[in-house]
Amino acid sequence: MMDPLLLIGAITVGGVLIGGGVHFIPVGGAPAAIATATGVGTGTAMLAAGGGMTGLITAAALTGQPLWLILAGGAVGSSIMLGITMLVGNLVYVWGVGCVPASAKIEFDPITKYEQSKFVTPGTEGHGIPTVCFVSGIIGGALGGIGGGLIYWALYQGLSTLPGYQASISAVSGVSIGAATVAAIFAVGIFFVNAVIASYNIGGTIEGFHDPKFKRLPRGALACIVASFATGLIAILLLNGGVF
Amino acid sequence: MDPYITGLGIVALMGAAATIAGAAEDLESDTGSMSNPNSQVQLAPQMGNLHRIFNKAISGEPVQMGTLAGIAGSVAFVLIGSVHLPVIMSIAAGGFIAALFHTAFATTSYLGRITGQSQFHQPVFLDVITSHLGPIAGHGFIVTFSIVGLSYLMTLPVTGFNHPFPLPLLAVLWGITIGAIGSSTGDVHYGGEREYQTYPFGGGIPVRIHGDITTMAELGARNSLDVVHFCAKYGGPVTGFCFGTIVFFSFWTTVVFGAAGGIVASLVIILAIIIINNRIEVFARDRYGPYLE
Repeated sequence: MMDPLLLIGAITVGGVLIGGGVHFIPVGGAPAAIATATGVGTGTAMLAAGGGMTGLITAAALTGQPLWLILAGGAVGSSIMLGITMLVGNLVYVWGVGCVPASAKIEFDPITKYEQSKFVTPGTEGHGIPTVCFVSGIIGGALGGIGGGLIYWALYQGLSTLPGYQASISAVSGVSIGAATVAAIFAVGIFFVNAVIASYNIGGTIEGFHDPKFKRLPRGALACIVASFATGLIAILLLNGGVF
Repeated sequence: MDPYITGLGIVALMGAAATIAGAAEDLESDTGSMSNPNSQVQLAPQMGNLHRIFNKAISGEPVQMGTLAGIAGSVAFVLIGSVHLPVIMSIAAGGFIAALFHTAFATTSYLGRITGQSQFHQPVFLDVITSHLGPIAGHGFIVTFSIVGLSYLMTLPVTGFNHPFPLPLLAVLWGITIGAIGSSTGDVHYGGEREYQTYPFGGGIPVRIHGDITTMAELGARNSLDVVHFCAKYGGPVTGFCFGTIVFFSFWTTVVFGAAGGIVASLVIILAIIIINNRIEVFARDRYGPYLE
């Protein structure tokens, strides 16, 4: 039987990592989808969820391995998804729309020192994904993947020892299919909760760690701690079959 | 057979299925005007631009695709496990049931969205529904078939695969992922270029022209089939490339380098795509130049 405090702790830390990670991911929402704002042209929670799901799949593929491998698997899976998506997004911005990746919120890219304002189409807030946003997105993806992997690992460890879930242990891999499934569904739920909280905190769009909105991170992290703690308590119910 | 070779074959098949799924997903969202660019289709009648473009963006693309792939995956799972139908037939049947749901969803959302704009004199075109439903359901079927197919491949009892998640859950997770990817990549081609084709190529869309979308086609009024005809030449294929590459790299690294080696290989890939992205940025800056001197 897993220590309930360890489970709550893992879910809380995982939730904060997810919520914090979302603040790093450059999303511009609908304006970015028509090249009016910098970042990836979709919603915050949706892009973070897409990256998180890939991280969860790659982390779960390592079920039964040491914790660090599961967390690393989640981090790289999520980062690869976000990295390739941002890269192909830029392919469309550069060759499909014909604009230069540039941000109107900063004068110079903090990483490459490239000047930004001259390359921004007049009347827009920038377009595409410049290097600083790209690197920020990779960091955000890694944090989200680690958070999702941690929650999945904790729930799987807790559930797989229960007699009901041991009945579904696969003869080939030795993994409890039932425990993995319930842990994944719960992890997806917690992922969406924290991604949406972070999305509210940044008002739907953010360019990454250089964006002035990034200063709201402590407030968002606090909200994620509270929400994840509450979902951690519900996870205890899950382990105990509905009773505390 | 050597499990290593089998594993590589499965990864290649998964990548191919994902590429097809990605391309079809983006084209489905263009046919139905599904994602973020639809904000402009929604805005157009208020700006006096009446149109014949389809409109079904009542949910996020990832949520829609997660639901459709989940339906297809669940039906296929039952048909394989309980009815013992052949796998391909089961997946096709799952995709068919999802397509039925998809057409009902598309019809009601089009009617609901467009009639909501009657105060701006936007008419409902019944021929738009009848002409668009087929391509929407068809593209959706290709997506769900490919997603459930690659999810099934992941659950095969082969070293490096044998994923602990059951088929329906994997289908939902990949469905959410492909929706996020299609919404982030190919849809920009629709929103940033095809919707504003009357304006000169080579720049973002200024706020002052928002809602002034192109409503006339090469011949007559433009509909979403004209949109997809254009986006199939660039937005769709690059979306397929994106999803195919993600699925391929997610598993190729562990199949070839093992669990720990795969993490290192993935880090190298991440570093490489940061550099490639920077090269693309530099290319665009050098080739296109600044707007203001």
